[in-house]
Amino acid sequence: MSQDHFQEDQETDQYTKQTIENGFSRRSFLSRAAGGAAAAGLFGLSSLPAAAAGPTKTKDLEFATSTDGGATLSFLPKPKPIRDREIAETLTFDVVVVGAGASGVPAALSAAENGAKVAVIQKAPFALSQGNTGSGVDLATSEKAGIEALVARLIADSNHRCNPKLIRQWAYHSGEAVRWVIDRARQGGSPVVDQGSPAQRAILKVNGYSMGYVTSFFGPKPYTTGDGMRHLAKTAEKAGVRFFYRTPAVQLVQNKAGEVLGVIAKGPNGKYTKFLAKKGVILATGDYQNNKAMSDYFVPDVKHLERKQLDKTGDGFALAYWAGGVIEPIGHTKMLHDFDAGPASMCDMPFLAVDRKGRRFVNETVEMSLLNNYLRDAENAGHYSQIFDSNYMTQAATWPGKLVPPEGLKNYMPDDPSPKKGVFESQVNTHVADTIEELARKLEADPAILVATVKRYNEVVASGKDSDFGKPADRLIPVVKAPFYGIHRRVRVSAICSGMLVDENHQALNAEGKPIKGLFLIGNLGGGFYGGVDYPLTVFGLSLGRCYTFGYLTGKHVAKL
Amino acid sequence: MKQMIVPKQAAALLVLLLTALPGGSLAAGPVVKGQVARTSKHATQGITCAQCHGKAAKKSVVAMQQCLGCHGDTKELAARTAQVKPTNPHENRHFGTEADCNRCHHEHATSENLCLPCHLRFGFKVP
Ligand SMILES: Cc1cc2nc3c(=O)[nH]c(=O)nc-3n(C[C@H](O)[C@H](O)[C@H](O)COP(=O)(O)OP(=O)(O)OC[C@H]3O[C@@H](n4cnc5c(N)ncnc54)[C@H](O)[C@@H]3O)c2cc1C
Repeated sequence: MSQDHFQEDQETDQYTKQTIENGFSRRSFLSRAAGGAAAAGLFGLSSLPAAAAGPTKTKDLEFATSTDGGATLSFLPKPKPIRDREIAETLTFDVVVVGAGASGVPAALSAAENGAKVAVIQKAPFALSQGNTGSGVDLATSEKAGIEALVARLIADSNHRCNPKLIRQWAYHSGEAVRWVIDRARQGGSPVVDQGSPAQRAILKVNGYSMGYVTSFFGPKPYTTGDGMRHLAKTAEKAGVRFFYRTPAVQLVQNKAGEVLGVIAKGPNGKYTKFLAKKGVILATGDYQNNKAMSDYFVPDVKHLERKQLDKTGDGFALAYWAGGVIEPIGHTKMLHDFDAGPASMCDMPFLAVDRKGRRFVNETVEMSLLNNYLRDAENAGHYSQIFDSNYMTQAATWPGKLVPPEGLKNYMPDDPSPKKGVFESQVNTHVADTIEELARKLEADPAILVATVKRYNEVVASGKDSDFGKPADRLIPVVKAPFYGIHRRVRVSAICSGMLVDENHQALNAEGKPIKGLFLIGNLGGGFYGGVDYPLTVFGLSLGRCYTFGYLTGKHVAKL
Repeated sequence: MKQMIVPKQAAALLVLLLTALPGGSLAAGPVVKGQVARTSKHATQGITCAQCHGKAAKKSVVAMQQCLGCHGDTKELAARTAQVKPTNPHENRHFGTEADCNRCHHEHATSENLCLPCHLRFGFKVP
């Protein structure tokens, strides 16, 4: 390696280099598309004739088709220029935040507290987000070696593909940020609490080093972080932040040099407003799970899986891409869960699990957050059931997790008339029956198949060895004593957590690795924080904790520019 | 132009909707030339394409505001359906009272229930 190369290595980290080389930006896409063979390689098509595989011949080479012709870059359409005479109003602020969610509302308040005049433009009629738990590291009760051990664990969770600097930034600033969110949301009327370290039982020691946590809990359901961000928005309004609801951003305002000067948004009356930002635009529009073509392209794994969110069409991706930003390469990290059908504390307990029809499909010690990988086909579409009998309270007593007794399970049974508490009534899906056939019907499985599965499973259990899937012997308990229980879970896409290239100031970088002046990306739109196949559940509430933290830091940073 | 056949149920609903219109200014009458899409329920009430889609040669997508012009305020609508079980479809945690009518109620296609399949058992019949 030449001396020059070595120096370059020191300047640009591995993650950033990789993303520039393999990610999607206007520059990389155009240059790769220019060479036919190279373009074919881009889509993994080198065995096919380049003509069939190459980009569609539109005059600007804006679109390309994938192997099956199903996915195209037309999910990132070039914005049509909006002329000045179409703009009904122009408003000037220091900072304009796009998206009032888990990262946007904190960013806006943080900027306002640091002296900036702030506008938030929001697509929905109010602030909107989801989830309950958002976490940070409590520096006062954590050993430095523990923090570094946790950072190493999170990097490993991301299959070593993330940007370590961003993980460290979360680790060293999240305690302060999450505490700040709790305090400010309370000022707005939120019942949010800090559940602290007890909520993170599995990571109180990491590699033997002591750790402490700040665990914000916006709950119990049906209260969520959505309600929490609405309460936080009240505090932000008091601090002078102006919110513009039902006003989706449609275009960035850029000058010839590529600097971002503001955003154009469309109000509820159908008219355009130009929001100029003297210090910067912070995009916080969330993920793109409801943009089918874009999801099929970047995360084909979830093609057949249901979504938990609405209207997350990746608007921020399109805005930042056309401003010169870089989307992380194909193979984005996904987050799929079902904490609602039955008790969350039982979701990882290794009871017999069967697919949608009633067949056993896995060594049940695989966590719920990974099961989507076994259920990706159109038929299963994320559906499976956990099955156990009435001895579960004693026979599974020593398993990790927390058992809910039969009386408590009624809270999750749609067929039980008891009033429901702390759950979404329309999501609970736990059942009890006197026979396996009847249970199968309630679980919408095939009765004959489930009966056969249970019979076979009981044989395996009786033999003391799981000759079918290799599950440890102490995780084998029979399904023999009526009544029988079943939790019909369906893992759906909670979030897609890969985004676009940013530096440690959360400023967007272009395909040359240079910051785009005036443009900042946070929340799931910001890249570099993950990289694994699935979102890790090591730190419960990492996703929201990271959104709050980077919102808090970025708001402050941009306000001080 | 062929006669539109409106199922009894839909006709009854239309009557309901139209009686709910403020001012009752939309008298049923003959429809202009062959302009009416055969799928349109409104058409049977004598509402022309242009009344919703505008007069320009290139017909525009109908914005929600257009619906409200005749059907009235969203908050009033939400109040009228407050007792619907298991939950009020016109006031929800995703959009408040401001869900775009077109998300569920389609004029030229079968209407759909946006709540399903996420919310099991929210089995609304959407007119
Ligand atoms: C059901 C569920 C439960 C979850 N539970 C947890 C949990 O307990 N802990 C955890 O850590 N994570 C959880 N998650 C994941 C977490 O909610 C997300 O990762 C997080 O909300 C992402 O924050 P964000 O700021 O990127 O986007 P969001 O919070 O989704 O906010 C994006 C905002 O941008 C707005 N917007 C979009 N486009 C535009 C536009 N063009 N113009 C203006 N505004 C726009 C949207 O309306 C939205 O308000 C859960 C997710 C789901 C779906």
